[in-house]
Amino acid sequence: MKLTLHCPANPPAVPALAAKGALVLVPFVGKTVLEHALAGLASDGFRHIRIHCTDHMQDVQKVVGQGEAWGVRIEFSGEPVTRADWADERVLVLDALPQLPDHDLWSSYRAWFSAQLALIPTVARLGVGTREVEPGVFVGLRSRIAADARLIGPCWIGANVHVAPGATIGPGAVIEDGSFIDGEAGVSGSVVGPNTYVGRCTELRDSFAWGNRLLHLDTGSLTEVTDRFLLAELQPSGLVDRFRAAIRAIGATASSANTDALAGRMEQTTPKPSHPLGNWPASPTRSLHSPPK
Amino acid sequence: MKMTYREKTLALTEITELNAANSTAVRDGVRAALRPEISVIDVSLALTRLVDSSGLGALIALHKTMCSRGGCVRILNPTPSVQQILELTRLHRVFEIVSIA
Repeated sequence: MKLTLHCPANPPAVPALAAKGALVLVPFVGKTVLEHALAGLASDGFRHIRIHCTDHMQDVQKVVGQGEAWGVRIEFSGEPVTRADWADERVLVLDALPQLPDHDLWSSYRAWFSAQLALIPTVARLGVGTREVEPGVFVGLRSRIAADARLIGPCWIGANVHVAPGATIGPGAVIEDGSFIDGEAGVSGSVVGPNTYVGRCTELRDSFAWGNRLLHLDTGSLTEVTDRFLLAELQPSGLVDRFRAAIRAIGATASSANTDALAGRMEQTTPKPSHPLGNWPASPTRSLHSPPK
Repeated sequence: MKMTYREKTLALTEITELNAANSTAVRDGVRAALRPEISVIDVSLALTRLVDSSGLGALIALHKTMCSRGGCVRILNPTPSVQQILELTRLHRVFEIVSIA
């Protein structure tokens, strides 16, 4: 089956989501909105997808490639699509994910956040390496969570996340890959974007923090935090991330499980770079990856 | 920054920034202007575009000064950005924040 997927560029209700790049590439429960949409379409049986976007086309191409990851063939179009082009195809506007047709993504920041919470169980079920460590609390690979950190579902903690002692995550939190939640910090009703440092004793509530930008989900107020000890962007840590990026760049068809296994082996054989904010304190962490019973 | 006296209140207005560049001057200027009868400092942040940790430090210093005198500091009409910084640092639980239409 064929389908044209129209990617909205800048819906008026959520302008800040497109501030860093293409709207459909905004972080969304471990991946991007577009990647989740393609996964949903592939499972619905679509094998030939034309992505129509007018904004940041190269960035989009870089993320989805030719569609190998989903077993589909993807082509791109920046021109207006007419019915005459593909007379017998379906056209889908990416206002909602195929997995969540009742959740509008771009009507408000709050709706975008609610859709993420709704998608968590689906992503956790299909994802490789994600564990439900407590009811409604999902944690990705290689994340380190202090033993006395409080985790309250529903929440999603991605891969390579550090949660320091005394922190409280949830209820209603999405922590994207590579982030660092420092001691005594609280994150509830919020999204922490990839590679973001959330400072000690800070409190994120009803917000989207990505790098040093802080967006309030209800008021839409966007603030740049100038103090790096409060909120900051982290540089992806060295060799393992570069290895993973290289795997993606050459279009390897290895499954994410294989990639993660290889990356895990590299982690064991290469010295771990020190964290840019200092050494991780030697504190007990939860055992998240014990073999299944 | 403009300072106005109203009975037992010292009102600070027209603050556009409260950061490392002016926080010391604000803190010392207000402390010097405190008369014995003043029990409340109203800090209007309605025009404030930027607050950083130095600015927050100045507000906390004034708060401690007023607490030692049995008074308090109130934040009036903070802009959404300032409100976000206050909430991020949990200072919205320390200061009385007043929104006046």
